[in-house]
Amino acid sequence: MATVDSRERGTAVAPQHDRPKGGVVDWLTTTDHKKIGILYLVSAVGFFLFSGLLSLVIRAELAAPGLQIVGHQEYNELFTMHGTGMVFFFVVPTAIGLGNYFVPLQIGAPDVAYPRLNAFTYWLYIAGGLITFSGFLTAGGAAAVGWTGYAPLSSNTFSPGAGVDLWIVGLLLSGVSGILGAINFMATIFGMRVPGMTMFRMPIFCWNILVTSGLILFTFPVLSAAFAMLYIDRQIGGFFFDPSAGGDPILWQHLFWFFGHPEVYIMILPFFGVVTEIIPVFSRKPVFGYSGFVFATLLIGGYSLSVWAHHMFTTGAVNNPFFAATSMIIAVPTGVKFFNWIATMWRGKISMQTPMLFSVGFLFMFLIGGITGVFLASPPIDYHVHDTYYVVAHFHYVLFGGSVFAIFAAFYYWIPKISGRLMNEGLGKLHFWLLIIGFNMTFFPMHVLGLNGMNRRIADYSSASGFQPLNILATAGAGILALAVTVFLINFFVSMRKGEPAGDDPWGGYSLEWATTSPPPPHNFHRIPPVHSERPVFDDRANRGGAGAGGGPRGPGSG
Amino acid sequence: MSTKQRLILAAACVAAMLSACVPEPADVQGASVERLYTIFFIVAAVVFALVAGLITWSLVRYRAKPGDELPKQFDRNLKLELTWFAIPLATVVVLFVLSAGVLGEVNAESPDPSVIVNVEGYQWGWRFTYEGSGVEVIGDADDRPEIVLPVGRPLTFTLDSADVVHSFWVPRFLIKRDMVPGQQNSLSLTISDAGVYRGVCTEFCGLLHSKMNFVLRAVPPAQFESWLEEQRTIDGDG
Repeated sequence: MATVDSRERGTAVAPQHDRPKGGVVDWLTTTDHKKIGILYLVSAVGFFLFSGLLSLVIRAELAAPGLQIVGHQEYNELFTMHGTGMVFFFVVPTAIGLGNYFVPLQIGAPDVAYPRLNAFTYWLYIAGGLITFSGFLTAGGAAAVGWTGYAPLSSNTFSPGAGVDLWIVGLLLSGVSGILGAINFMATIFGMRVPGMTMFRMPIFCWNILVTSGLILFTFPVLSAAFAMLYIDRQIGGFFFDPSAGGDPILWQHLFWFFGHPEVYIMILPFFGVVTEIIPVFSRKPVFGYSGFVFATLLIGGYSLSVWAHHMFTTGAVNNPFFAATSMIIAVPTGVKFFNWIATMWRGKISMQTPMLFSVGFLFMFLIGGITGVFLASPPIDYHVHDTYYVVAHFHYVLFGGSVFAIFAAFYYWIPKISGRLMNEGLGKLHFWLLIIGFNMTFFPMHVLGLNGMNRRIADYSSASGFQPLNILATAGAGILALAVTVFLINFFVSMRKGEPAGDDPWGGYSLEWATTSPPPPHNFHRIPPVHSERPVFDDRANRGGAGAGGGPRGPGSG
Repeated sequence: MSTKQRLILAAACVAAMLSACVPEPADVQGASVERLYTIFFIVAAVVFALVAGLITWSLVRYRAKPGDELPKQFDRNLKLELTWFAIPLATVVVLFVLSAGVLGEVNAESPDPSVIVNVEGYQWGWRFTYEGSGVEVIGDADDRPEIVLPVGRPLTFTLDSADVVHSFWVPRFLIKRDMVPGQQNSLSLTISDAGVYRGVCTEFCGLLHSKMNFVLRAVPPAQFESWLEEQRTIDGDG
């Protein structure tokens, strides 16, 4: 294996390919995990911006009773494609992109196990995304069935347009892409770790990508099967979900949520991993309770396969107490993680640069999302708030307050490694404060709206309902969110041109990606430090007696 | 912090607490849901204060200063970790037991309902049939139906759908149930307060989902009987 060779040869330089660097053809044909990682991240951010624009139209429409901007049909397409885009084409691919770039680096490997499969996985994802969104170009418009595509609304009878077919085919492709990617991650983590890197010395981020991959392997095939069945119902005269022919619409809900709830953990575990990388480095301490973190992640992964029907408490078709019990118990390992994060910061020396700032934002926002999740796990409370804006608020606190804050933390933490340049701290802080203010203005009022009876997925509400003031607040918040994201984009483009050089290790990092250059060479490492603990770069710094053995964040603004 | 600032902060907290409440329940079952919600809310507030407080304390107390030495590198304490595994576990066990109790109350079917209304949802309207009397109230997105029901009597709604999945919800009742084609669901409750209540479909059901609403007027039993009689005459005449 190449890694063994390079260790034996001491400071061997990986052979350079003769391929022209950076050209369009190179990007189209690359099998380098770092380039594919960048492709994933850039594409995912593209889908984020587009799906975000859809949500701005939603918020604008809801600012006042009556239909001002779009009609019922267009509104239904907007929220369907907003959800679909964010879940399938932004959050999950961002995790896969970060995993692609950083898992091989963190385990000291020259690439993933199957580089060509990796490239195929990316292009399947892009094809899936373009096909899904191409529904907007058809005469009947894009799918307007909600991202959950409940049967029989999603059948040919009730949604005859081509938009739903494109939605199904696109999501099938992206599902296959996810399955192949998961296999690749597992093979890479099990087979490509540098000598000394035992499973229990592996960075928590890699552990979380591993558990996430396992969840993908368990659940994406079920989703793919469900989509295939729906396609058969629509196009080949099947009736899996058609009650008038003896099919069962509840079966769709089971199949969808058996995927759909683990999907929530697929969208959050990688980002738990991200903040578990960042918090120790910026507290200048090791992660507290390493095995506790791993154990908690495995528990969450396992339990997440047993909670799906809490989305179906009101159907009258499931055993509510059973699913209430499993759904509440899953809060326990999540709680453990919170205490471990706090203990990691406890008696540390905390630097509040942008990666840490966004990680702390994550802690507070995800805490709220986690707590409201326990309310939803209680069937009697769910009887009231199910399918209301309370649920909308809850999952945005989990997926925006949680995942998106951690995604930005990851960007500020790792873009210097990818690009060789640091992001601007001042703009980063402005980005953070706009984001957290805009986020809470947009989504906190939704708890109150839901509790007071505003049901979700409605294009309009009556002026007598009293819902308008909080909707105006939410719409104004969405405007601030748009501004925050604009500040991020400006920061990115300015920093990529004029940013301060990052050096190999701007933060005083612990894991192996900080032992190589920024950006890393084609085969990742000129020299891999020996791995004797879960902090090889920290140990290496101490052994070399470098400036302040602990390192600590240098970065801009560290005084 | 000045006294004025403190007052504003306290007022903001009280306002936040009040606005995070469920609406005043108009039925007996909803009152149970409200009690459960209040317990959850108190537990949630305590958990939030504890965890957010610890995070904030760490950030303020342990902020790095220039020239700091490397802090002590501790990374485990099994007793502590078992403790903070046990505390959330005990909390959710209590919350589960409380939920299971209330679930039994709100799911209980009236053994002898005084009124049974068969509700059928369709895109995008409602058909309410009063069992026994044959009175029917129908309405859709353009013509919102209005039904009348007695206060203080056990009621049962049977729920069905003619096409896609819908869901029956009167927000002030604090409970809802789905209307699934090919599956008979039911919902039993007793209205406690007279009033005019908004009813909605809460499961996304296609184009005019947002306009699939109804009105429920809860009146004293005698008034309900005369309304029913009146409707029967109208239906009979028509």
